[in-house]
Amino acid sequence: MKNKMLLLTRTLLKNGEGFGIKGMKNKVSKVLFALMLIIILPGLVVMFSFFVNSAYSALAVIGQEGVIISWGIAITSTVILLFGIFYIAASFYFSRDVEVLLYLPLKPRQIVGAKFLTAAIFEYIITAAVFLPAVIVYGIRSAVGIVFYLYSFVVFVFIPVVPLCLASVLVMILMRFTNASKHKDTFSIIGGTLALLLGMGINIVMQRFIVNINLQELEALITKGENTLALLTSGIFPTARWAVSALLDTATAAGFLNLLLYAAASAAVYIFLLFLGEKVYIKGVVGLSESVSKRNKQNKAEERDKFLKKHSALRTYTMLELKLLFRTPIYFLNCVIVNFIWPVLLLIYMVMGTEGADMQGMVKQLIINTDNAGTIFLFGIAMFAFVAGFNGTVSTSISREGQELFVKKYIPVSYRTQILAKVLSGFILSIAGAVFMLIAATAVFKLPLYISLLILVAGWMGTLLISFFEILLDLYNPKLDWDSEQKAVKQNMNVVYSMVISSIVGGLTIYAAAQFSPGIITAALSAVLIYGGLNVLVYFLLCKKGVERFKQLEG
Amino acid sequence: MIELIDVSKTYGGTVKAVDNLNLTIPGGEIFGFLGPNGAGKTTTIKMITGILNADSGTIKVNGVDIKTDPVKVKKQIGFVPDSPNMFLRLKGIEYLGFMADMYDVSSKDRTEIIDDLAKKFGMEDVLNDRIQSYSHGMRQKIVLMGSLLHDPSVWILDEPMTGLDPRSSFILKEMMRKRADSEKTVFFSTHVLDVAEKICDKVAIINKGRILFCGTLDEMRNSSMKDESLEKLFLELTENEE
Repeated sequence: MKNKMLLLTRTLLKNGEGFGIKGMKNKVSKVLFALMLIIILPGLVVMFSFFVNSAYSALAVIGQEGVIISWGIAITSTVILLFGIFYIAASFYFSRDVEVLLYLPLKPRQIVGAKFLTAAIFEYIITAAVFLPAVIVYGIRSAVGIVFYLYSFVVFVFIPVVPLCLASVLVMILMRFTNASKHKDTFSIIGGTLALLLGMGINIVMQRFIVNINLQELEALITKGENTLALLTSGIFPTARWAVSALLDTATAAGFLNLLLYAAASAAVYIFLLFLGEKVYIKGVVGLSESVSKRNKQNKAEERDKFLKKHSALRTYTMLELKLLFRTPIYFLNCVIVNFIWPVLLLIYMVMGTEGADMQGMVKQLIINTDNAGTIFLFGIAMFAFVAGFNGTVSTSISREGQELFVKKYIPVSYRTQILAKVLSGFILSIAGAVFMLIAATAVFKLPLYISLLILVAGWMGTLLISFFEILLDLYNPKLDWDSEQKAVKQNMNVVYSMVISSIVGGLTIYAAAQFSPGIITAALSAVLIYGGLNVLVYFLLCKKGVERFKQLEG
Repeated sequence: MIELIDVSKTYGGTVKAVDNLNLTIPGGEIFGFLGPNGAGKTTTIKMITGILNADSGTIKVNGVDIKTDPVKVKKQIGFVPDSPNMFLRLKGIEYLGFMADMYDVSSKDRTEIIDDLAKKFGMEDVLNDRIQSYSHGMRQKIVLMGSLLHDPSVWILDEPMTGLDPRSSFILKEMMRKRADSEKTVFFSTHVLDVAEKICDKVAIINKGRILFCGTLDEMRNSSMKDESLEKLFLELTENEE
């Protein structure tokens, strides 16, 4: 049994599972991948080491430097769990090789075991990036002996096991008892959003506890007990406590015993996983390739009538764009969710930490003085432009067509209408993001309501202007030749260019506001005049040059 | 009616895909467009439908030049592309609704046509499913349905039989005949010579971007003075070109 499992593990690894080397046909990609391993990974280790080092200095003052180790293990485990859920679902259920493995004479536990091992190997990259800095900093600063490093190595080997097993168990149960396996897109969308949110959560915690460390706060926190993250983590991963105890107590037999306990517990969890895999894996995976369909006639007429009501081409086309943005996981994460993430991140930055507090104080100071109403208003308009530029919706709207562009060439809808529909779909999303930010900013900075309303009334001009620029950009420089949706939005320079454009437009607005400190009426009038004028100008350019360009595009 | 007058198209400045092509496809006939792989069939069809721009020459559909009024031309065409793998994340009914709005079809007309076609192709129960879940043949059928929503006077099909089950393929052939009989234009490309032989009133054979023959099968037999199958005539014609 064991042989077959290891054999399968080796084959899966050779087949590129884990690193996606399979898809790397040319040397360049392989070299880039190698470079990533050689440069980016050590880069990450060094970067985290600096963080950890500053945390160590602060913690050492109160004699709590051991927290570094528990944090190291806690964060590593959390990140592995997080990535693991995604990765395990993709590898156990959505991977193309699953169907092939099903008809081979393999036991379910052998497939689960092999797939788990390949996933674990991938997780060592994460482990190295997050856990190693903790070990290195703690090891050097505490001047520990060789035993610490030996123990660390053992812990390193076992770290991914428990969180990854947990991820596997969660995913297997989910797939067995729900029909998530048949809704790959939904799973990816929810998983991706959760990952982003958790990533942000970790970011916030790091900011709070590490970057802007406040000694008294920290002391209070530690004397109160463990910090929340470590506590939470040891709640989810109870075995982590043994690892921490082993690493902090390398001199006594108790430390060694803890290490043994940790290794044994990890092995036990792994064996439990194999047992569970034998019971539930196949049931979840069989029928995966069946198409999702209700195939019933219930509500057929109602449903049909809903879709068969006649609407204008512009409305239907815009709705199509939005539907595809929401239904395609990669687009949803990069175009829709991003819209709301940027504003949140910016606000978090502004309200948290000492720099944030300074900034917040400054903004509040600005707001109190009614003379600054015009300046604040222009800041708001600039924000609307920023939000539009920082999501890749309009700037990839032609690129996202890819090989399907030909359909848009033969339908009897003018290129002008099509371009406007693409602009409109992105505009709707950007406005939603900007309004979301405006509401948050109004609450955080106690913006006077009339200014917020004024920003709302005039801000759309900034959004529209950037959207016009973005569609022109994508019309002239579309990325149509792609084989995975990822490439259409993530590896598309137009997204970066549009960020630059919106930064220039928004930056100039802010510069003007700071330079001239106009009154609210002057600011509103000039914004409407300048943004409105530019919009009209770019619109005409779009109708002429943009339409001409769309005509020339031949997918 | 479709008219192509001195139409040429070159890819990348060097590869001449279509070379000074002249072709008239009248209404009331099923017109087959035959040729080996890479002969220029799809390029020609893409130029007629407005997907590609011709480098030179004139293309008219029912007398309207595609260059001067592309939207008017496109409205008269129902097009079935060679690959039906599109809009996979839409439900079948959503795709049809989208196409109906693009071609400006009234609510009443689209409901009637969809009901009729869905029944004919056995698609009634799957219209509420995502196209992603369809088999190749079902995808082909949904695209076929989408191409007929506006009852086009010109029906252009690129390799339409691929992936269809015998029943659907029979229905398709019947539909082509019915449309031709009502004086509409039916123009399709195919590799399957048996199909062409059985249902085409006229064929054009294209190779290396040029028309080698255009006429009825009898005319082809007469010109070669051999009473042979279309397959043999086709092979002889295209081989002589090599």
